[in-house]
Amino acid sequence: MKHNKLTNDYPTRTAWLAVLARATLAELESMAPAKSELPELKSVRPPEIGMVMLRGRVGGTGNPFNLGEASVVRCALRLGDGPLGVSYALGRDKRRAELAALFDAMLQDPQHHDALQRRLIAPLAQLQAQARAQTQHAVASSKVEFFTFVRGEA
Amino acid sequence: MNATATLAPGLPDGVHDSQQAFRAALDALARPGQVRHIGPALPGVVLGGALARLLLSLSDDETPVWWRSTDDNLPQWLRFHTGAPVAERPDAASFAVLTDLAHLSALSDFAPGSAASPELSCTLLIELPALTGGPTLEWHGPGIARVQRVGLQGLPDGFWPQWQANHAAFPQGLDIIFTCGDEALGLPRTTRVRRLEGV
Repeated sequence: MKHNKLTNDYPTRTAWLAVLARATLAELESMAPAKSELPELKSVRPPEIGMVMLRGRVGGTGNPFNLGEASVVRCALRLGDGPLGVSYALGRDKRRAELAALFDAMLQDPQHHDALQRRLIAPLAQLQAQARAQTQHAVASSKVEFFTFVRGEA
Repeated sequence: MNATATLAPGLPDGVHDSQQAFRAALDALARPGQVRHIGPALPGVVLGGALARLLLSLSDDETPVWWRSTDDNLPQWLRFHTGAPVAERPDAASFAVLTDLAHLSALSDFAPGSAASPELSCTLLIELPALTGGPTLEWHGPGIARVQRVGLQGLPDGFWPQWQANHAAFPQGLDIIFTCGDEALGLPRTTRVRRLEGV
């Protein structure tokens, strides 16, 4: 736990985990490999639903406070005797967490890494970035600047 | 290869398996000296079935577990499944896993709880070579109708005098669950133990 065990084999792993966590079920399902193409899947932690506390900061920079709880689903599975894939995703969709963990495991496998990175992660990352930019743009137009006039000397 | 490469699965059926193990642990401590079946060993886990299942059922992120061995895999496995942290010192632990009988720690090393909160004591999980067939002892106390004869195997000579001191400290003191393979047997702090032959 002294060094980051998650990423020392693959420096970009946090990036693809973030993309997988935001992907929809349909997007993941469309790329899911057939069962017969894969080694046996071993469930280390079957998909389970829980809650996480979301924390916010006043004005983005102030003291942290508890904003509220959100449901998450998480899963860990192993491809044969190969790498361990993990996933956390907002929501209660177990299949989505399972697929995300499966893709994480496959991405750590040199045999699948490049193809998946090119065909799944890169397009999804682009889509998500676009959607994010669009939302930011839409919200920016409604931004209100608060300011107070300094009361002049009498 | 990173450390997650050897991570083993937890309970096959989390809800029901942990309920069964919890119930068996309650029974074992309520009826000291009676053997309870807990469940078969888990794939990829080097611990006995009862010990592994009890750990997965009883520990959580507020119960530090003390490990005798320096092997990093088991603490990591437990932490992944239940969030239980590793206790740095024996007296900081809520549970202690003792599998090496040749180097059994002194009972006084572990936290006996305080007079105001005796429930904050440590529960020891000790793996024995067998729960029967050893030197027979007579157990008395709450949960035992008259006398319970128990022959645990493999405990070092100095163990039972230490247990007497532990019993005398009631309401403070340790509780022990002895395990062997799939089975477990409880020794709560309320039980008095008398040797039949010898001392």
